[in-house]
Amino acid sequence: MDLTLLALPFIFITIYFESFLLVTFLSRPARERRAMVRGDYFPPVAVIVPCYNEENTIKGTIDSLLALNYPADKLSIVLVDDGSKDNTPAVMDGYSDHPQIMVIHKENGGKHTALNLGIERVPHAEFFGCLDADSFVDPDALAEIVGHFNNPSVAAVTAAMSVHEPKGILERMQNAEYIFGIALRHIISSVNGLYVTPGPFSFYRRSIIVELGGFRKGHNTEDLEMALRIQEAGYTIENAPRARVYTKTPTTVPSLVKQRVRWTTGFVRNVMFEYRGLIANPKFGTLGLVVLPLGLIAIVGGIFIFVLAVTQFIKSVINGYALISGVPLSYTFSPQWLNFDVFFIPVTGLILLSIIAMTGSVTLMIVGKRISRTPSSLFAGIIAYLLFYGMIAPLWLIRTVYDIVTGTKRSWR
Amino acid sequence: MSQLTRNSLLALAITLAIIGTVLFAVNYLNQQRVAQLNDLQDRLATDTLSVETQFALLESAPCEDVAQGNTLSQEVSNLGDRLNVTESRLGSTDSQVVELKKQYTLLQIRDYLLTKRLSTTCKISPTVALYFYSNTPGACTDCDRASYALSYLHKTYPALRVYSFDYNLELGALKTLIAVKNVKPEFPAFVIDGKTTYGFTTLDEFEKNFPATLFATSTPTTTKK
Repeated sequence: MDLTLLALPFIFITIYFESFLLVTFLSRPARERRAMVRGDYFPPVAVIVPCYNEENTIKGTIDSLLALNYPADKLSIVLVDDGSKDNTPAVMDGYSDHPQIMVIHKENGGKHTALNLGIERVPHAEFFGCLDADSFVDPDALAEIVGHFNNPSVAAVTAAMSVHEPKGILERMQNAEYIFGIALRHIISSVNGLYVTPGPFSFYRRSIIVELGGFRKGHNTEDLEMALRIQEAGYTIENAPRARVYTKTPTTVPSLVKQRVRWTTGFVRNVMFEYRGLIANPKFGTLGLVVLPLGLIAIVGGIFIFVLAVTQFIKSVINGYALISGVPLSYTFSPQWLNFDVFFIPVTGLILLSIIAMTGSVTLMIVGKRISRTPSSLFAGIIAYLLFYGMIAPLWLIRTVYDIVTGTKRSWR
Repeated sequence: MSQLTRNSLLALAITLAIIGTVLFAVNYLNQQRVAQLNDLQDRLATDTLSVETQFALLESAPCEDVAQGNTLSQEVSNLGDRLNVTESRLGSTDSQVVELKKQYTLLQIRDYLLTKRLSTTCKISPTVALYFYSNTPGACTDCDRASYALSYLHKTYPALRVYSFDYNLELGALKTLIAVKNVKPEFPAFVIDGKTTYGFTTLDEFEKNFPATLFATSTPTTTKK
């Protein structure tokens, strides 16, 4: 039996999910959300910036918040130093006289404790947002977001994240992935299927978050745990696709893998151990029946296809070496492609379906860029994504499974 | 019907339509390949008739004209490459593949007979290698390497004529050839200039089976490392 055929079920699921996204993208709820225009609604809001050793980026983050197009008397900024050991506290103190800014220093206790302290200090805010100290916001982002709290059941609104000034292959690859995520979040939010409210500039209705008991450690993914708790409580999570926010991303493969292992283990542990009741539960609609089950299958599928591809590659190399050993390399590498004939093109169902699945991903990236009006170029990112993502992602998926099976807990950084 | 149910069913319909289209396209392409092989084979059938005529002409025509006019070997080799690809796509048990292989084998045997006749009548001495392989799983672990080595030798030394045969093909003419050459079912098997050998280890060892004249008189088309 041809082992590569075992990849077919996963490719089927990928194409099915992409088709689901396409249909949902074209359906009325998504169209209505794209058509929403910014109003003159400016409720009192607060932005909490939890910081731990962010001396290099915190200033840019604060400056971008002060540049927001939002009435100054309605916007409070709370900087929470979570026991930083570098120059972060000094940088923050430089803003303590600013009328919109409140600076808080506390012992290190984790991001969730910093957020909860910030929530306590802004009782006047109807909504509060969180902005990681390595992220920067577009001036119109906040005004875009508050308009999506148009229904009392909306507990949170997520923004449209992309990479801040992507340079190099790895950052460009992540930028393409983030922009894919913009389309994904826009589409999935239209059927209330979001399972995470990412750190960069997600906003929350303060009364609901207080009612739900504030943030928890959530296996080092407090944003994911909070989103699942919101969903479990029956509230909705919206997305503002034109609320652009830019974030710094890992610049090396090991740091990227470490970050993603945290995210993915957080996903698996929260979903499997804390919110298992949501999986395959019709009460939770798209989230329970589509997003969470496929999210778990994607981890297994990603590892399976990677192992299969590596096995086939090693087998090909060994067979190829045995085949050509002893025969002059000048023959092996002679330009036989000059005799190219379409007859010999290896067109198989697996290859065609893989190309269709990849085309679906690229289409979603283009959709993400268009609906968010993200300015940076995407071409190099798409190429990097197609070439390298499939080789790097399995590294964190495999490590995730290892950590889950062995019960290994890793530090945030 | 809820939005989720509607979207899920539509997505399923689209997915099935995509997969159906892909399966249809792949099947269509494979059929096109088979049709192309049939065309090539029809052309070769005409060429075969030409070979028969050449046999007749040998009695009176100048040898050099016949020898130069014989393009059948290259055509047969071309058909062989395409047949290999088709066999790997459709499988060696596919009835169309089996039928094509039988006709291809017949063509090879005829070309082999012509080559033999040319060599005796026209006093030319091409080196001829008959190569017997088996597609039965596990029956021939070295056949791929042997095929590759023969391809290299044929490309490098054009005077070498290589004829490949699937030992297990149910074809009377092939069975007769196997019996005449007394080839045992041990693979890979070679009959090189009338001498039968079995097995393949290295190219250097393999080259010892060929007459030194092949390497002395031919002009290599690739450079040895």
